[in-house]
Amino acid sequence: MKEFLEIKDLKKSFGVGEARQDVLRGMNFTVKKGEFCVLLGPSGSGKSTLLNIIGGIDTPDEGFVSINGDKLEEMNEKELTLYRRKHLGYVFQMYNLIPNLNVKENIEVGAYLSDNPLDVEEVLTTLGLQDHKYKYPNQLSGGQQQRVSIGRAVVKNPDILMCDEPTGALDYKTSKEILALIEDCNNKFGSTVIMVTHNEAIKNMADHVIKLRDGVVRHNDINENKIAAADLEW
Amino acid sequence: MKNPLIKRVPRELISDWHRYLVIIVFMVIMIGVISGMYVGHDSMLSSVYAGRDELNLEDGSFELSKRASQKLLDGISSGERADVRTYYIEKGTKTADKEVAKAIDEKLNEQVMNIIEEGVRAQCAAFGIADEEIIKQQIDKAVTDSFDEVLKQVKESEEYEKAVDEAYEEAHEEVVKKVDEEWDEVSDRYSLDDPDFEPVSVNIFEHFYREESEDNNNDGVEDANVRIFKSDAEIDKASFNQGRAPEKEGEIAIDRMHADNVGVGIGDTITVGGKKFEIVGLLSYVNYLTLHESNTDLMFDAFGFDVAMVTPEAFNKLRSRIHFSYAYKYDVEPQSKVEQADYSDNFLKALITQTLVNDNEIEDYLPEYLRQASNFAISDIEGDSAGTSILCYILIGVIAFIFAIIISNTIDKEASVIGTLRASGYSRSELVVHYMTMPFIVTILGAIIGNILGYTAFRNMAVYLYYNSYSLPVCHAVWSNTALIKTTIIPLLLMFFINLFVIVKKLQLSPLRFLRHDLVRTRRTKAMRLPRWKFLRRFRLRILFQNMPNYLVLIFGVIFIELMLCFAFGLPDSLTHYAKEAPSMMFAEYQYMLMDHLDDDGNVIETSEDSAERFSMTELLYPKNRSSFREGMGSGGDESVTVYGILADSSFIKLDKSSDDNSVNISSAFAKKFELSKGDNITLNAEYENKSYNFKVEGIIDYDGGIAAFLDVDSYNRIFEKEPDEFSGYFSRNEITDIDDQYIATVITEEDILKVTNQLMHSMGNFMDVFKYALIVLSASLIYLLAKIIIERNEHSISMVKILGFRNSEIGSLYIIPTAIVVVLFSVISFVIGYYLMVWIFHIFMLQMDGYFAFFMKPLSMVMSVLYLLIGYAFVSALDFRRIQRIPLDVALKNIE
Repeated sequence: MKEFLEIKDLKKSFGVGEARQDVLRGMNFTVKKGEFCVLLGPSGSGKSTLLNIIGGIDTPDEGFVSINGDKLEEMNEKELTLYRRKHLGYVFQMYNLIPNLNVKENIEVGAYLSDNPLDVEEVLTTLGLQDHKYKYPNQLSGGQQQRVSIGRAVVKNPDILMCDEPTGALDYKTSKEILALIEDCNNKFGSTVIMVTHNEAIKNMADHVIKLRDGVVRHNDINENKIAAADLEW
Repeated sequence: MKNPLIKRVPRELISDWHRYLVIIVFMVIMIGVISGMYVGHDSMLSSVYAGRDELNLEDGSFELSKRASQKLLDGISSGERADVRTYYIEKGTKTADKEVAKAIDEKLNEQVMNIIEEGVRAQCAAFGIADEEIIKQQIDKAVTDSFDEVLKQVKESEEYEKAVDEAYEEAHEEVVKKVDEEWDEVSDRYSLDDPDFEPVSVNIFEHFYREESEDNNNDGVEDANVRIFKSDAEIDKASFNQGRAPEKEGEIAIDRMHADNVGVGIGDTITVGGKKFEIVGLLSYVNYLTLHESNTDLMFDAFGFDVAMVTPEAFNKLRSRIHFSYAYKYDVEPQSKVEQADYSDNFLKALITQTLVNDNEIEDYLPEYLRQASNFAISDIEGDSAGTSILCYILIGVIAFIFAIIISNTIDKEASVIGTLRASGYSRSELVVHYMTMPFIVTILGAIIGNILGYTAFRNMAVYLYYNSYSLPVCHAVWSNTALIKTTIIPLLLMFFINLFVIVKKLQLSPLRFLRHDLVRTRRTKAMRLPRWKFLRRFRLRILFQNMPNYLVLIFGVIFIELMLCFAFGLPDSLTHYAKEAPSMMFAEYQYMLMDHLDDDGNVIETSEDSAERFSMTELLYPKNRSSFREGMGSGGDESVTVYGILADSSFIKLDKSSDDNSVNISSAFAKKFELSKGDNITLNAEYENKSYNFKVEGIIDYDGGIAAFLDVDSYNRIFEKEPDEFSGYFSRNEITDIDDQYIATVITEEDILKVTNQLMHSMGNFMDVFKYALIVLSASLIYLLAKIIIERNEHSISMVKILGFRNSEIGSLYIIPTAIVVVLFSVISFVIGYYLMVWIFHIFMLQMDGYFAFFMKPLSMVMSVLYLLIGYAFVSALDFRRIQRIPLDVALKNIE
C-alpha cells in the first residue's frame, strides 16, 4: 500500500496568554491507502482536533496535512468543501441525523454528495437497516442511529472514512456491531478508515495504531496481528 | 439525484405548524388588510375616474332664469363674447329714436297750431273781429282746413330739418354716454374687456332639474329636499349600485347613500312632490359623489338632501319650478389647472355677455373643477391612504424583525445538522438555499393567501368603508401596483435579504463551531459572581444572563408591539382629539365668507355688528417635498395654505409685526408640519395661475386648526393687488343678521366644524377599527412567537432539569419568571420608545396629507397599550407553561453534545 495521508509537524493550540493550551505539538505520521488506522489516546490528547484537521474542518497553526499529495493548507474554502464532499465520510460520536428525514433519506443525504455513490439499498442491507428504512431517527435506538450515521458516511464511497468516537455513546454489544460494520466497509469498499477512540481494545482490529499523548505521537505501530471486530473484548 | 434535503421542507412545515401558522396568519393579515386597503383605495379611485368619462361628467354648468333660446345656446357654444355695448347702444338708440320722434311730433303739432292761431288772429284783427268766440271758431276751421298744409310747409323748412337732426344727435350721444358708463362698471367687474380673452367653444347639454320635497315614510312630513333629473340625460349620468333606471312614470331611482342613511331601499315607496314613487334603483350621480346641496356648503348632507332620477314623463308632471340648468363640455380639454382656470374665466365672459344680449339671466355658474359634490370625495379618498401607509411600514419592519429572529433561531437549533452537513461536504450555497426555502415558501404562501383576500374580502371591506362615507359608483377591482409592491414585493425582498444576510453571516462559521454549537462570536470567559441568594433565585438569574441575547430580541419585539399598539390606540385618539379640539381652534365664533364685498348696487357690504371685523382670504400652495413615500394615485399634491389678510390691530388674531414688507405670520400647524420657524423664508404658489409669492416667517400664531398664513391687510392688498376696500368676509363673535343671505357664500360656525370632524370620524373611524383589531391580533402573534423562541432555545436545559428532578412549577418559575420580569419591566420603557417612534412616523406621514393634526394618545389608551401587552403575555405564559410541561425528558438524553 502506498502512502495516502501524510501528517507533518502538525501544531495546534487554543487560547491566548496564560490560558493558551497546546493541543497538537508537532505531530508526524503517514497512513496508507485502504488502511484501518486508529488514533488512540486519553481525553485531551488532541485526537479529535487531529481528526478535524484531517477532515478539513479545522486548520493547524503549523505543519500540514497532505492527502494523495494535495496539501489541505493550500486549499481555499471552496476546495476544502469539495475535498470533503468527494473524498471524506464523517461518523461522529453523536449521530447528528436530520430529525425530519427518515433512515433512507438520511443516507441519501450522503449519496447526493458523491459522484459515484454506493447503492443506498445495498448500504441499508449491509447496515441491517432494511426493516427500519422508513423510520425517523427518534424511532431508533442509539446503535441504530449510529448505523445510519455510518451509512450516510460510507454511501459516498469516500476515500477516507473519518470516525470520531463512533462507539462513545454506545453499549458494549452495539459498539462491537458498529465496529464490525466499519470494518466491513473498510474491507468491502476499500475506504481508508481513520478512527479516533480512547478504547484501547479497538486498536486490535486496526492495521495501524497511533497512540497520542499530550499532543504528540507516542507510538506509531503497524498491527501485524489484527483481529476481527467481532472478536474484540473489553 | 435530487437533493434529499428538499424532503425536509413539507415535514418541517407540518411538524412546526404552530410557528408557521402564526407567520402565515401574520402575513395574511398584514398583506390582506393593507393590500385590501390599497386595492380598495385604488379600485375606488379608478372607478370614480373611469366614471367621469363613462358617465360623461360635465366641465361645468350654469343655470338661467328662463329656458335659453337656440340663439343664446349657439352664442354660448361658440365661446365668443357678445358685443354687449353695441347691443345696448342699438337698443338704447331705438328707444331714444322713438322718444325723440314722439317729442318732435308733439313739438311740431304745437308749433303748427301756434302758426295757424297767430295767422287767424292777425286776419281777424285786420277785419276788426274781436269776438273771441268767432276767433276760436275761425281758428278751429283754419286748423281743420290747413293743418296738413302748414305742417308740410314747416317740415320742409331748413330750420325744422336742422332741429330734428340736432335732437337725434343729442339723444344718440346721451345713449352712448349712458351705455358707456354702465358698460365700464360691468366690464370692470367681470373683466369683460380682457385683451387676453380667447374663446372657449363648448358643447351644451340641457340638464334641467326640479327640487321637490321627499317624504321617505309617507307620513306627510318632509324628510329631505330632493333634486330630480330626467332619466334621458346625456350628461352627468348615474351609475347604478343596485337596481335600474326608472322606466315607468311611478318609478324613481335615488342616491344610494341617502337611501342607506334614511333606511329605504329598492321596492319601497316614497312620496316626492306629493306623488308616490316606487324606488327601482339606487344610484350614484357622477356629479354628486357627495350630497352637497349647495357648492358653498362646508359639508354634505346625505340625510336632508337627495338626488333622484325619474322618467321624462314623470318629470313633466311634477309641479315645482324647473331649474333651467345647462351643463357643458369643452370641445378641447384643458391640459393643466392653470388652463382649466383660464378656460372657465373665458367661458364665463362668453356666458355673461351672451346671456345679456339674449335677454336672459344667469342664476348660477360653476366650473366642474370647483364643484364640491364631484371633487370632495375624490380628494378625501386620495388623502386617506396615509394611515394605511404608516401601518404598512410598521408591519414591514415587524416582518423583517420576525424573519431575522426566526432564521437566526432555526440556525441555532440546527447547528449540529449544519455542522454535519458542512463537514460531509455540503457547500455554503447549498445550505443557504436549503434554509432559505422554508421562509420563502411561507412568505409566498402568506402573500398568495393575503393577496387573494386583499383583492376579495378585505378589498370589499375597504370599499364598503368608502361606500359608508360617499355616494360612490360601482367599484371594479383594479390591479394595484402599490399594493403588490408594498405588501408583497417589499416583504419578500426583505425576507430574502434578511435571511440571506443572517444565513450567510452565520454560515461563515466553521463546520466545527456548528458541531460544537459554538455560534457566539464573543464568549464570556468567566461567570459573573452572584450575591448569596437562594439557589433558585441565583439559578434564575443565571438563566436571565444566559438568555440575554434572546431577551434583547424579546425587548426589541416588545418595542415593535408597543409601536403597533400605539398606532392601534393612538390613531383613533388623535382623530377624536382633533375633532374635539377643532371647534376651540376657531379664531372667531362666526366666519362669514361673502360672495363679493359689493352688493348688487355696487355698495360695500357693511354690518352693524360691533364685533365684526373684515378679513381677506385666498388659497395658495406650499410646495411639498417630492420624495414622498407614496406616489401616483392618491399621493396628494402640494399643501393648500389659507392666506388671511387681517386688520393690523385685529381683535381676533394678534400679528407679530415687522418692517419687512413680505413678512408673514404662520399658524402653529403650518410651522409644526413643515418644521418652519421664525426667520425662515417660504414660497407660496398660486394654484391656477403662474404666480409665486415669497415670504419671511415673522411669527407663529397658536392655531392648530389649519395650515394658514396671516398678513396685515395692507400688505395683503399690496401683494395680491387688491383695492384698499376689498375684503372677503367678516370675523364676528356674534351672529350677523343685517347682511342679506344672497351675499353670503358660507358661514363657518362651531357646528360646521363639528360636522366636518364628525364626517372625518365617520369615514376614517371604520378604518381605525379594522387596523386596531388587526394590530391586536398581530401583537398577540408576535409575543407568542417571541416567547416560544425563548422556551425552544432552552428546551434542552429544561429537559435536563426535569431529569434532575425539578418539578414543572419550579421549572416554570425558573424560565417564565425571568421572561415575565423582562416583559413587565420593558413594557413601560418600550411603550415610551414606541410612542415617540409613532409621533415621529406620524409626522412624516402627515406630510403626505393635506392639513395637520399631531399624534395624540389618551392616558387611558397609554395604559391600555401596556395592559394589552401584559394580558397578551400572561396568556402566552400559560401556553409557555404548557409547552414546558410537554418537553420530554429524552430531549436532553438524545442530544448530548
